[in-house]
Amino acid sequence: MKKPVIYAALTVGAFLTLFPYLLVVLTSFKDRGELFSTRPWLPAVPPSTDSFHRLADSGFLTYVGHTALMTAVLTVGQLVFTTFAAYAFARMEFRGRDLLFWCYLATMMVPNVVTMIPLFLIMRQLHMVNTWFGLLAPYILGTPYGIFLMRQFFRTIPTDLEDAARIDGAGPLTILWRVLLPLSRPALGTLAIITTVQSWNNFLWPLIISSSDDNKVATVAIATLRQSIGGDYNLMMAGSLVTLLPMVVIFLSFQRFIVRSVVLTGLK
Amino acid sequence: MKSRRGLTAYAFLLPSLLGVFAFLLLPVAIVAGVSLFHWELLDSPHFTGLANYRRLVHDGDVRHSLWVTVLYVLLTIPVQTVLAVVLALLLNQRMRGVKFFRALYVVPWMATPIAMGLVWSWIFDPANGALNRFLAVFGVDGPAWLNDTSFALPAVAAVQIWQYTGYNMLFFLAGLQGIPAELYDAAATDGASPLRQFVHITLPLLNPTMFFVLVTNVIGSFQVFDTLYVMTGGGPAGSTEVLNFRIFQTAFQQFDFGYASAMAMLLFALILLITLLQVRYFNRRTTYDIS
Repeated sequence: MKKPVIYAALTVGAFLTLFPYLLVVLTSFKDRGELFSTRPWLPAVPPSTDSFHRLADSGFLTYVGHTALMTAVLTVGQLVFTTFAAYAFARMEFRGRDLLFWCYLATMMVPNVVTMIPLFLIMRQLHMVNTWFGLLAPYILGTPYGIFLMRQFFRTIPTDLEDAARIDGAGPLTILWRVLLPLSRPALGTLAIITTVQSWNNFLWPLIISSSDDNKVATVAIATLRQSIGGDYNLMMAGSLVTLLPMVVIFLSFQRFIVRSVVLTGLK
Repeated sequence: MKSRRGLTAYAFLLPSLLGVFAFLLLPVAIVAGVSLFHWELLDSPHFTGLANYRRLVHDGDVRHSLWVTVLYVLLTIPVQTVLAVVLALLLNQRMRGVKFFRALYVVPWMATPIAMGLVWSWIFDPANGALNRFLAVFGVDGPAWLNDTSFALPAVAAVQIWQYTGYNMLFFLAGLQGIPAELYDAAATDGASPLRQFVHITLPLLNPTMFFVLVTNVIGSFQVFDTLYVMTGGGPAGSTEVLNFRIFQTAFQQFDFGYASAMAMLLFALILLITLLQVRYFNRRTTYDIS
């Protein structure tokens, strides 16, 4: 194929990829009248911050704060617990190890919605509906997917260094912290980004478990915007912009790393 | 000594074991159990054996949802996979700016589906949305998209294709880069056309990648929820009511936990079956090393 044709195709694709982002920005800076009077793809002159004021008045920023807190806690929790479990699976000998690992892998096929009903029933039994505990507990101890990813990575690291450390009298904790983790930055980074994206975007479980103002998250809040005020697209786009922006910032900061390393997750 | 090491291992595993047991294995057991009960929110549950499953077999609405689910998978997976392969082939060349495009196409992967569902609802808005305004420039009177029973499901499918094509492209790109260049050189000296090279070298050697991408994406498509929730809510007239969404409504809007659990078991079985079929299909064609 000729290069100009390829570039033309790639540019059309790039435009389609970015257009929704462009539209969010354009629409959220329009006021109610301009939403219908101007073409969607033209900017408002002068830009209006009316939607953002209304958004702030509706308490939306609190919910974004909740999302940020949830994301931080889950990412830290998953990194810690996943690392411990993956280390045990990759490097330690114990009865039932392989059987247990296959059990972990099998649970990856359980659809989300299958566990939602019983999880809700469990949380209701424990009186944990509408609490931070209920919101965080199912994810904080690590996921089989993350453990699989880390275990595969640990197994690619030669054992010589650990053997040397063990001869020097290092225990498993020291070996994990001083020897393995410094060598595992790419895998840890991948896991951190995947967990951050998943937690930030998570919707179904928060929708089911938390509806009070104390622990409602951004995704649940913007879904409510859609239902309560029919066609107020200015407000919805402003909310979407605030929700989408942090992920775009993360992408821009770690862009090289993400492109290289998401591929790690599937093919190792 | 040996038993002490076993103890250390279990100590390392304990938090994760607790998580997998309490939040994955126990729930699966519970959902299987609850599916044998008649249990609505305020009633106390009573055992009804296989009654929920009998109801399932005769439920026209469930049959409709199964059909919509299959349709959704068929609308998304082929397009998404073919586009990703094509994009990977285009981006696997030595050209200026190729890295820029690679990165750019991955951006939607991280987008919050709920937020993007809203953005696309606005794009698909019948009167003022960008798509119909754009079509109007060419004198085309666009359909009502999300309010039209024949266009709503393809519109939701389009959002998924938009979001995950670039991400899947990355996996195919890695797969392509793993194919030794000598194979193509040898084929070219034998006079094989680019198309034949693609069919006989590229595609077979992409099998492990294809396996991973298809298995994970099919599982994902069967469970579409977020975009559907904000874009159509299952409507219009049930035309986007996939099984996953019906389970959610039955459990959390009608509080019919027993019946919803039976439906969840059905979806679980379906996903398991289709995954196993894919494993068998690809096992015959590749040596895929999972250990």
